[in-house]
Amino acid sequence: MFRIARLIAAKDLRVELRSRVVTNQVLPFAAIVMVMFAFALNSDAVVSRVAPGLVWLATLFSLLILVQRSFAIENADGATDALRAAGVDPSGIFLGKAMALAVQLAVLELVLLVSAVVLYSTQLRVGGIVLLLVTFVAATIGLALVGTLYGGLAGGVRGRETLLPLLLLPVVAPVLIGATRATESALGTGGATVADGWPWVGLLAVFVALFGVGGTLAFGPLIEE
Amino acid sequence: MEDLGFILTTYIVTFGSVAAFAFAIVRRGRRLAAQLPAKDKPWT
Amino acid sequence: MATPDIETPALAASTRAGTGTTFTRSIGLATIVGMIALGVFGLLLSPADVQQSDSVRILYIHVGTVWIAYVAFAVTALSSVAYLWKRTTSLTWDRFAGASAEIGVLFMALTLLAGALWGRLSWGKFWVWDARVTSTAFMFVTYIGYLAVRGLGGSHHQRARRSAVVALLAVLEIPLVHFSVKLWRGLHQDSSVADRTHVNLHGLMLFSLFISLVAFTLLYVWLLMHRQRVLAMQDAIDNSGLDYALQQRRDEGDL
Repeated sequence: MFRIARLIAAKDLRVELRSRVVTNQVLPFAAIVMVMFAFALNSDAVVSRVAPGLVWLATLFSLLILVQRSFAIENADGATDALRAAGVDPSGIFLGKAMALAVQLAVLELVLLVSAVVLYSTQLRVGGIVLLLVTFVAATIGLALVGTLYGGLAGGVRGRETLLPLLLLPVVAPVLIGATRATESALGTGGATVADGWPWVGLLAVFVALFGVGGTLAFGPLIEE
Repeated sequence: MEDLGFILTTYIVTFGSVAAFAFAIVRRGRRLAAQLPAKDKPWT
Repeated sequence: MATPDIETPALAASTRAGTGTTFTRSIGLATIVGMIALGVFGLLLSPADVQQSDSVRILYIHVGTVWIAYVAFAVTALSSVAYLWKRTTSLTWDRFAGASAEIGVLFMALTLLAGALWGRLSWGKFWVWDARVTSTAFMFVTYIGYLAVRGLGGSHHQRARRSAVVALLAVLEIPLVHFSVKLWRGLHQDSSVADRTHVNLHGLMLFSLFISLVAFTLLYVWLLMHRQRVLAMQDAIDNSGLDYALQQRRDEGDL
């Protein structure tokens, strides 16, 4: 299963490297969203205060596009069907695509964090760096897992793409809540302390565990045609 | 009665929508049943 | 030209019954009686509450609908498990899951409406960000998604398998959302708004509540039986459509 996963992840990332869809289209989109937030909120103070939340919101909106892309490349030539007809373990496909998605998400989040520092005057706190890193890792894995899971069902197929946001956004609400609170703690936004943040990381860890197992089991039956 | 508007809205919308839903189901049921032989309707 | 094996609508019209049986007719009658009783007791015979005055009357509806919404979703989840357990034969489980979810969505919407109106009267706000209210809203949206998945097309078993998995994932996700919101709002003072409101129910008020629970339960059973039968007929028509098309192809000598 892990060998398949590595192969699939490498394949997905190679496709991205050659087509550069994420770098040329999704990252600019995310940056524009960050600018739009500032227009809408109309206040430097407010924007600085809610910066962690905005970063994670922009991540979620971009996630929808990343997931659609991840599965559009499969459906273009019936690639996943061919894989499954060849008897490839669907759990391997699931983990592989989730890994590739996680890498793309990580790049996206880095860009968004930099945007927040530049646009919203967000300041990184040395004492909170570890918490910040762990939060980002945990949230990224969680989002990649559920994104791949529901993407398998609703992603990339014409006539189904509108279903993805409806299914995915309610499910990622705990990640939004947990990651935002933990990030606020790491950055000291609104007076939050680093110690406050770790329970939220715990929540993210539970999310990863549940959907790691659940997703691996559910992906196969979900994409069976 | 105080707040009669809110209270009546609740009761009327609840009973009304339930009745509409029930009516739609029964009507659909009668139409479909007309198209099917008895073997497809094991409850009859 | 060979005669199709399928009964034409003209032949079947002789069995013009619907989805009713003696069982559902008696349940239906009991439901109507119960609803009338609920209206009479809820609106007229029961007294106004000491603290909340008449707004407590909304609760008689609200508690009934939320009870049924949760029962409906439990039935959907259990039916989904049952379908996946013995997959090849029991599309009936899938249809129970689907019918129950539709009823659940309706009652969840009614719950949110009544809750908002009651909240406006009791707390001055249509909405509070506490765990119970928020996860109820999430359940509502999640099951709308479930119904959308049921409408994706494909064979009946594909529909059944997909929606069963989605339903079970929802069972995983909803408690997680509830817990997240609880943790989140635990930091805020007004998380206890929902708890601060105590309704002391006794006598006729308690009886009205009891009528509500019984009447809505009967209503749920009635709706479920009828809707499930309608879904069964829709599936049968899908099947016979395919049979008829195959028969036509055979007649034309293509198969």
